[in-house]
Amino acid sequence: MAVNTRSLKIAAVSVLIVVLSIGGVFFAGYLIKLDKEIRDRFAGARWALPAQVYAAPQELYAGLALEPKELVHELQRLGYREDAQLGMTGTYSAGAQRVDLYARGFTFWDGAQPAQKLSVAFSGDTVTAVSDGDSGQEKDIVRLDPMLIGSIYPKQGEDRVLVRLADLPPLLPKGLVAVEDHGFYSHSGVSLKAIFRASVANLRAGHVVQGGSTITQQLVKNFFLNSRQTWNRKINEAFMALLLESHYSKDEILEAYFNEVHLGQDGNRAVHGFGLGAQFYFNKPLAELRPHEIALLVGIVKGPSYYNPRRNPARATERRNLVLGIFRDEKLISDAEYEQYTQMPLGVVGGRGGGVERYPAFVDLVKRQLEDDYKDEDLTNEGLRIFTTLDPRAQEALEARILEQLPLIEKARKIKPGLLEAAGVVTSADRGEVMALVGGRDVRFPGFNRALDSRRSIGSLAKPFVYLTALQRPDRYNLQTVLEDEPIELKLPGAALWAPRNYDRQLHGPQHLYMALAQSYNLPTVRLGLALGADAVLKTMKSAGYDGDAKALPSIFLGAVDASPLQIAQMYGTIASGGFQARPSAIREVQTKEGKPLQRFPLDMKQTFADGPIYLLTWAMQRVMTLGTGRAAYTQLSPDTVVAGKSGTTDDYRDAWFAGFGADRVTVVWVGRDDNQSTGLSGSSGALPIWARVMKDLHVRSIDNIPPGSVEEIAIDPDSGLRADEHCYNAVTVPYLRNSGPQEWAPCAAQSQHDSPMQWLKDIFGH
Amino acid sequence: MRSKLIIVSLAAVLAACQTTQGTHQIYPPAGGPRGEPLPSTPPPAAAPEPVAPPAAPAPKPLPDYPKSAEQISGGAVTALMKQARAALNAGQPDRAAGALERALRIEPRNYFVWSALGQAYLGQKNYLQAESVAQKSNALARGNIYVDIENWKTIAAARQARGDNDGALQASAQVEALQAQLSAAPAPP
Repeated sequence: MAVNTRSLKIAAVSVLIVVLSIGGVFFAGYLIKLDKEIRDRFAGARWALPAQVYAAPQELYAGLALEPKELVHELQRLGYREDAQLGMTGTYSAGAQRVDLYARGFTFWDGAQPAQKLSVAFSGDTVTAVSDGDSGQEKDIVRLDPMLIGSIYPKQGEDRVLVRLADLPPLLPKGLVAVEDHGFYSHSGVSLKAIFRASVANLRAGHVVQGGSTITQQLVKNFFLNSRQTWNRKINEAFMALLLESHYSKDEILEAYFNEVHLGQDGNRAVHGFGLGAQFYFNKPLAELRPHEIALLVGIVKGPSYYNPRRNPARATERRNLVLGIFRDEKLISDAEYEQYTQMPLGVVGGRGGGVERYPAFVDLVKRQLEDDYKDEDLTNEGLRIFTTLDPRAQEALEARILEQLPLIEKARKIKPGLLEAAGVVTSADRGEVMALVGGRDVRFPGFNRALDSRRSIGSLAKPFVYLTALQRPDRYNLQTVLEDEPIELKLPGAALWAPRNYDRQLHGPQHLYMALAQSYNLPTVRLGLALGADAVLKTMKSAGYDGDAKALPSIFLGAVDASPLQIAQMYGTIASGGFQARPSAIREVQTKEGKPLQRFPLDMKQTFADGPIYLLTWAMQRVMTLGTGRAAYTQLSPDTVVAGKSGTTDDYRDAWFAGFGADRVTVVWVGRDDNQSTGLSGSSGALPIWARVMKDLHVRSIDNIPPGSVEEIAIDPDSGLRADEHCYNAVTVPYLRNSGPQEWAPCAAQSQHDSPMQWLKDIFGH
Repeated sequence: MRSKLIIVSLAAVLAACQTTQGTHQIYPPAGGPRGEPLPSTPPPAAAPEPVAPPAAPAPKPLPDYPKSAEQISGGAVTALMKQARAALNAGQPDRAAGALERALRIEPRNYFVWSALGQAYLGQKNYLQAESVAQKSNALARGNIYVDIENWKTIAAARQARGDNDGALQASAQVEALQAQLSAAPAPP
């Protein structure tokens, strides 16, 4: 028995040893696997960094047309706050004729510009001097830091802006440790004390009120594990935390935590890390956050959805004040500061995705242009810095005017509110940089991008290309050529009889070529187009930048051509720039995440029309604005602002367009319905009111009207279309391509008595 | 046919009889008493001067075109152009192009900037754009011969580099013609 007992004991111990050994081997294997997982994750690129997209920076220089209030507005948009002391970067102080600011440093494509105090002096609406705020030395030109307008992150993906521990305001790490993990600097990854304290608290309350997880455990949970509360996961988490602590310093772990932690949700986009959190909630860099703002972010960590300051401001305020209380108890802030900061508003910027994702339609264009040169992973993972052409002032004007005018138009026309849709584009006239883009009425919603993808019939926007085709043939056509406004019927093979009419269903008698365009008469245009040929007109459209698949049929003369607003901006840009076609570009430069230049996007333009015919067409399109369908623009623009444009209205009033330009800006506006039904609006009544106001807000520069060498200006007697002199009281000056103007003198001209061979007969028989 | 000929010849004859003084006075006669005698003593005739041999028409003086960017540029653009010039001299056409494109956003119609950008693109071996941008400068310069010459040089170099020898020759001929025009013209006052 004794032997039996003994051998049983030996057997049991042996089994135990074997089991323990096997268990030990498995456990060791388990630890090795965890260890590898941790090292791999930490050693490599820790995060896929979405590309960051920036607007064009505001340049400041003497002579710039900018009012003090516009500069202040720009600074506020960048998240600068008023502070007479200019205590830190991102502050300003505004007077009537001077704005002082402490500009943030920024690494631009061509080098770093350090943070600096600046003083900007104004006279009226012009900057007179930009000088160093300390030394008073004048500066030629300075850039403000550009606005972060979005990022390119994977679908359902995480977005973040990486920060380093050294860049954090000192209160942030101290405050976070005080609130989330008091013993962070003394424990080795897991805190038994914290677990015990939490267990007691939870037992007392009867449910989970406190977590015992250390910062290290929270990081592990975010990094490697899902959030399911299982024992298995808890055990993994604890071991991984211990392993993490054995390999990495407290600072490395804390920095990773600041970049990893989830701070909110914006549709599909998960906001990760305090760097993006500061932008997402406060529209400024992390370094500029003040104690109450830091307290809010620290507070949100506990439950980004539950404490969402936009949706649950009261709850978020309570949480923030509790965190401020901990800051005070830990002597991180004084009692007085506690009193002050708990009284402050949350300070969160409003609206959906405030601070970032402001311009989804524009960022959509940026993505598409980048896709030609970059792989998706490069854009979503490499933290590229994309510098774009977006002009926040132009964008704001375009958005504001669309949102302001559509309801007014709906009300005036008794259209169901919300039924109208709109899209718009503003580009720079001479190079086709896209400065503003609106893809629909819900300007913050990244949905259907009408500015790029809505290809609608362009109606009379096509007419300038018919007239340009004619003006390129000076032997047959000039601005004074008389066109018949008579009915016409066309039978095309395989199509119904086509009998176009004027919009007003009237006939107006013979018209000068420029007037037929100014008044947008259909019949003279069709007659002219038929004489020129549809092939020639289509070729002109293509030379202007049209790349669609329209057929060369007479219906294109009246705009049976589909194009997007962006494409129209390109085509009209070719006219605006004197015959140089430029591809609309949204990107200037790309940098690596370290700030090294990677790629520049140079100009992409070529001359596709001679300057003379373009000058004549522009002259006629100026008459659209002064005599024709664009007249109403001058209810907004001052009468000495010289602009050129064209209205477009399609069959049954489905689409209302207006496209036009001054010397420096091209603007295109479309208004219509998504279901392509009639709105009852013409280009003049639907799109022009928006266009004119946007042009006014942009302070559009006048077209200068200096004729090129290929053009001569001739005084004409409008009655006869012949040369006039000072005796002709109603003479007008009309540009002609050189040597193509009339040679004969009008009857009113004194010269006519010398030159006209039959004048003596008229003299005899006329009196 | 015959009757037409007669009418035309009649008209021609009558037209020949016509004087420019006109048989048909449409304006009232100039004031002053009629029939006033001519002055009795004619003024002394000037001594006949030797007639200069007929010369080729003198070239018109050129308009006083700006010769340098500073003449038409603001301080910011001037500073950026200096940066660009320095970068180009330092063999950094990328930086030069960047500074010039920045300048163009401030003064989009400054043909000196466009002209310099053409040279920067040439330095970047972006020959197509170098030519386009030089042409753009020409279009904006409205005949400024100094800028035109530089731009045609850029165009000639760009075409040469692309292997378009005929085009390069044409552009060089343009440079020579403009230079001849420049040296023939008297200096503007």
